Amino acid sequence: MPGPSEREWSLIGFTLLSQTAVGAFWTVAAAFLMTDRRQGLLENRVFTIPFLAAVLALLGLAATVSLSHLGRPGRAPSALFNLRRSWLSREILFELAFIFLVLSLAVLRYQGRETAPLFRALVLASAAAGLLFLHSMSRLYMLRTVPAWRGLHTPLSFFASALLLGPLGVLAVRGVLFDFPGSLHAFQRTAGLVSLAAVLLILLTVLFFTPRAGVFGAKTETLRDLPEPRIYPLLAFRLLYLGTALLFVFLFQRSQNSGYVLLAFICAAVSEILGRYLFFALYGRIGV
Amino acid sequence: MTQAFVRQYAFYYDSGVCSGCKACQGACKDKHDLPPDVLWRHVYEVTGGTWKKEGGLWVPGVFAYNLSMACHHCAKPICGEGCPTKAIYKRDDGIVLIDTLACIGCRYCEWACPYGAIQFDLESRIATKCHFCYDEVGAGQPPACVAACPMRALDFGDFEDLKKKYGGTSEVFPLPEASVTEPALLIKPHKDASRANKDTAEVANWEEI
Repeated sequence: MPGPSEREWSLIGFTLLSQTAVGAFWTVAAAFLMTDRRQGLLENRVFTIPFLAAVLALLGLAATVSLSHLGRPGRAPSALFNLRRSWLSREILFELAFIFLVLSLAVLRYQGRETAPLFRALVLASAAAGLLFLHSMSRLYMLRTVPAWRGLHTPLSFFASALLLGPLGVLAVRGVLFDFPGSLHAFQRTAGLVSLAAVLLILLTVLFFTPRAGVFGAKTETLRDLPEPRIYPLLAFRLLYLGTALLFVFLFQRSQNSGYVLLAFICAAVSEILGRYLFFALYGRIGV
Repeated sequence: MTQAFVRQYAFYYDSGVCSGCKACQGACKDKHDLPPDVLWRHVYEVTGGTWKKEGGLWVPGVFAYNLSMACHHCAKPICGEGCPTKAIYKRDDGIVLIDTLACIGCRYCEWACPYGAIQFDLESRIATKCHFCYDEVGAGQPPACVAACPMRALDFGDFEDLKKKYGGTSEVFPLPEASVTEPALLIKPHKDASRANKDTAEVANWEEI
């Protein structure tokens, strides 16, 4: 029974990079849409060219990493041939749709047409494509022969990763590049609170859903290739707790120190890498 | 047997007479010139039970049996359900094949198959599996594994014909419930197979397969 190997590492990279990109896009899209509604004008500055380029770079890196798990990467375009039955095909379709829509936003932004109704429509369409992308990504793992993955914990943990790393990543990069003069902007505080909610979702998922998913009931051996299995979840949780504490300090201190949010993001990212490693390590199918 | 009369090719396996010699495994590997890490037919050695103390004596309550397993060319091949390129398909005679020119080597099918039938070939970088020696059966000859078995533990033919001839089941520990993929497989279980579900049992030769 194969444990995490080189190919799983590429999938760990692909899933987390994609989820971070979608989460970051949702964060800025929410700011864009909320600002528009509340103030009656378009907040042009949130969807900057560098931000859209960063999202595209993350998605490009994710796609490149994912190609490395294929035996024949040159044949990758044919992965779209089974849209009727395969969640893997659908995942690729929605990934490409998301990339295309974000690229379209970047082009419109470059042309200075960010106030056009089309821009707003594309923001909504991109957010929806990101949602379908992550949904397909989680569904493809929910195989009926793999009890360890077939459960609500798989989509919950995938969406929680996006909601944790996306907003936190936006805050960390924003803090490193521009610092936070004075108090936090409402959307920045909301982004931080969304990340805290994602931490809660991760903890609830691990506590209530994972044990019911048949992880410990699979007939095949699990955690077989891990040298010391207990180290990984313990380290993942401790880093998550540390990141949460740092985010708390960042959000509720009087003057915002961007160092806290950067460290919180690093802790969360490493914790998520360990968590995803465990997800693949827990693969255990029924039968032989 | 010609393909025109077969709706679903299937294997029959008598676990009770199998000696675990692995001639089937070797014949398959030899015929298809499979690389070192690839086996299209595996012989699982299932062991279980324990020693029990009866009075002042320790009495053996252990058991062991073999299961020779390949692709079971399922009625609901889960390997093909998720294949993003439709590389895995089912012929009219029930044989499930992999289109070697269409496979991208994503190994999703390998995750899904509960019989460990899909084998990733590190040389060709694609998924491979038993194709029921379609060349041999098309010419009226048995598959290599069936022909090689010195105990006549293996047989093949149309699924319905085999059911009439032998009966049998496909639900023997540690195999999954038949409803999962509806395998074209009939097993005459070893006399101790029923104990495997009650006692502690495991596959003892993971390293070998």
